[in-house]
Amino acid sequence: MHALKIQNIEKIYGKVKVLKGIDLEIQPGQFLILVGPSGCGKSTLLNMIAGLEPVSKGNIFIGDRDVTHLDPKDRDIAMVFQSYALYPNMTVRQNIEFGLTIRKTEKSEQKKIVEKVSKLLQIEPLLDRKPKQLSGGQRQRVAMGRALARDPSIFLFDEPLSNLDAKLRVEMRGEIKELHQREGTTIVYVTHDQIEAMTLGDVIAVMKDGEIQQFGPPQDIYDNPRNQFIASFMGSPSMNFIPCQAEKVNGVIQISLESGNEKVKVPIKQNIKGLEAYADKSIILGIRPEQITQQGEDKPDSAKLNCDVELIEPTGPDTLVTVRINGVKTVCRIHPTAESKVDKLMPLLLDMSKVVFFDPDTQERVY
Amino acid sequence: MNIKRVLIYSILGFAALIYLLPLVVMVITSLKDLDEIRSGTLLSMPQALNFDSWDKAWGAACTGVSCEGLKGYFWNSVLIVVPAVIISTVIGALNGYVLTKWKFRGSTLFFGMLLIGTMIPFQVVLLPMARMLGFLGLAGTTSGLIMVHIIYGLAFTTLFFRNYYISIPSELVNAARIDGAGFWMIFHRIILPLSIPIIVVSVIWQFTQIWNDFLFGVVYSSGDSQPITVALNNLVNTSTGVKEYNVDMAAAIIAALPTLFVYIVAGKYFVKGLTAGAVKG
Ligand SMILES: Nc1ncnc2c1ncn2[C@@H]1O[C@H](COP(=O)(O)OP(=O)(O)OP(=O)(O)O)[C@@H](O)[C@H]1O
Ligand SMILES: [Mg+2]
Repeated sequence: MHALKIQNIEKIYGKVKVLKGIDLEIQPGQFLILVGPSGCGKSTLLNMIAGLEPVSKGNIFIGDRDVTHLDPKDRDIAMVFQSYALYPNMTVRQNIEFGLTIRKTEKSEQKKIVEKVSKLLQIEPLLDRKPKQLSGGQRQRVAMGRALARDPSIFLFDEPLSNLDAKLRVEMRGEIKELHQREGTTIVYVTHDQIEAMTLGDVIAVMKDGEIQQFGPPQDIYDNPRNQFIASFMGSPSMNFIPCQAEKVNGVIQISLESGNEKVKVPIKQNIKGLEAYADKSIILGIRPEQITQQGEDKPDSAKLNCDVELIEPTGPDTLVTVRINGVKTVCRIHPTAESKVDKLMPLLLDMSKVVFFDPDTQERVY
Repeated sequence: MNIKRVLIYSILGFAALIYLLPLVVMVITSLKDLDEIRSGTLLSMPQALNFDSWDKAWGAACTGVSCEGLKGYFWNSVLIVVPAVIISTVIGALNGYVLTKWKFRGSTLFFGMLLIGTMIPFQVVLLPMARMLGFLGLAGTTSGLIMVHIIYGLAFTTLFFRNYYISIPSELVNAARIDGAGFWMIFHRIILPLSIPIIVVSVIWQFTQIWNDFLFGVVYSSGDSQPITVALNNLVNTSTGVKEYNVDMAAAIIAALPTLFVYIVAGKYFVKGLTAGAVKG
C-alpha cells in the first residue's frame, strides 16, 4: 500500500505551466527527495501535497484517501518550512502545542507529547523561550518538534536546512536521517542540494522545468543518469563531459582521447549497444572525477593518459586536479600524496568500467 | 560638554521655543482676565492663576444661539471619534490581512483602487456623500457622520495594515493552516499579536484626522450633534459685545487637548510603527 501517490499533477499559473504532469508513488516509511534547480517547481509540488496550493489537474492520494481537494488540516500532514515559520508571539511550548490545541487534544495528553518531542529533539531547556531568543539550529529543531508533535502520516520538508551554516547543516542532516530511521516516518523533502539528496533519500525525484527527469534510489541515479542534466546535477564536483570521436575498429567501438601531445584510442569494453550508431561520429563521454586517478595498480577496463595539469585544489582527503582532455577542462580526484605540478604532465588512469555516454545533440544517455 | 554640543543644544532649544511660543501665548492668555489682556502685552504673565475663562469655555460660552459652552460638543466628538476609530481600524486590519494573506482574483486591482481613495480630497466627496446619507436617512445624525469618517478613513487604515502585513511571512499563515487554524483563528492568534505597532499608528492617525475634522462635521451634522471643531468655530465667531480672547484661547486648547494627549502617550509607538520592518520568526 502506498503512503503517497501523485497522479498526473499539473499546476498552471495564468498561462504558465509550472508543473507538467507529475507522477510518483512512495511506500510508508520511505524518504522521498524532490531535488532540482531553482524554479523547477519543487516547492509548488510540495505545497500542493500540503494543500496550500490548489491543484490545476490530477489527483493526490495520501494512504487510500483522495485528498486532492481537502484542506491542509484534513490531510494528516505536517510541514517544516525553510524559514521555520515559528509563531513569533508564542513560546516554544506554545508553538508545539498550537496544532494540538486546535485539534482539541486533551491537556494532559498535550503535556506528554511536548515532553516526548522535546526530549527527542533535546529542546527541553528552550520550552519557555520565544523564537527570537533561539539560534538558527534551535529554531530548526523546534520547527521539527512542532511537526513531530502532530504525529501525521506524512512529513513535508521545504529546504529545512538551507538557512543554516555549513557545519550545522551537516549536523542537522544527520539528525534528520537518524530521526527518520528511528521513527520510521514517511517524509517528502525538498532540496536543491544534491548532497542532501544523496545522503538522506531512499528515493530521489530529480526535477527540471516542472517535470520529473528521473525517479529512483540515489545510487542508481548517480551511477545511471538518464541524461546529461541529471549527470551534471548529481555529484560534486560534477561529472566531466568530454566530446570525443568514435570509430569502429575490428568490430569494437573506440574513442580517441587527447591531452598534452599524446593521443590514445580507447576501446569501450562495456556492453553498450547504442554505441554502434556513433561509429565515425562524435559522442560525449561522461566520466566522474573519482574515475580519473593517479596511475597505480592496473585496472582491467582502463586507459592511461599523460595530461597537462592546469589547476590543483587540495580538499584534504583527496586533491582535485584540473586537466584538459580533448580541449575541455576535466576534473580528476587523485590521492593527496600523488605528485602533481601545474603546467607539468601527470600520468592519469581513466577507469572506463563505469563511464557513460551521451548523444551530443539530444544530451540523452546512450544505452 | 564641548563647544559644539553647546551650540547644537542652544539651536535646538531656540527652535523648540519658537514652536512652543504660540501654545505659551494661548495658555497665558487663557489665564488672564480681559483687563489684563487689554493692558499688558502678548507675553506678559498673568497676575494670578485664573481659570474663569476655562470654566466659561467649557460650560457657559455661547456657540451660536445656545450658551452652554463646549462641554456637550466635546462629548459629541468623543462619541464620533471612538466608534469611527475602532471600526475603521478593525476593518482596515481585516482588509490588510485579506489583501496580503488571502489574495483573491483582482485583489491587486482592488488595492490599487483603494490607494486612489487616499488621494481623493474631502471636497470631492461632499456632495455624493450628502446624497447617500440622505438616501440612507442618516443626514444630520451622529451615526451618519461616523459612517462618513469610517468610509473615508478605510483607504488609509487599509494601506497601513496592508503594507505592514506584507512583511509578515506567508509561511507563518501556511504553518497555521497546516496546524488546523482557519481564517479567523489565524487572524486572532497569529496576526493580531504581531500588529500592535501598526494598530497604534492607525489609531493615532484616525484619531487626529477625525477629531480635527471640520469640513465633514460642518456639512453632515447639525445643531446639537456637531463636533467640537465646529462648536469652536461658532464660539469664536459668536459676537456679543467684547471679544473674549481668554475664553477663545481656553476653548481652542480644550479642543486640541485630546490629540495632544494621544501623541504624548503613544507618539513613541507611532514612530516605531511607521518604521517597523519585517517580523523575524
Ligand atoms: N504565485 C505564483 N504565480 C506565478 N508563478 C509562480 C507562483 N509561484 C511560483 N511560480 C513559478 O513557479 C515556478 C516554480 O516555483 P517553485 O517555488 O515551486 O520553485 P522551486 O523549485 O521551489 O525553486 P527554489 O529552489 O528556488 O525554491 C517558478 O518559475 C516560479 O516563478
Ligand atoms: Mg522552493
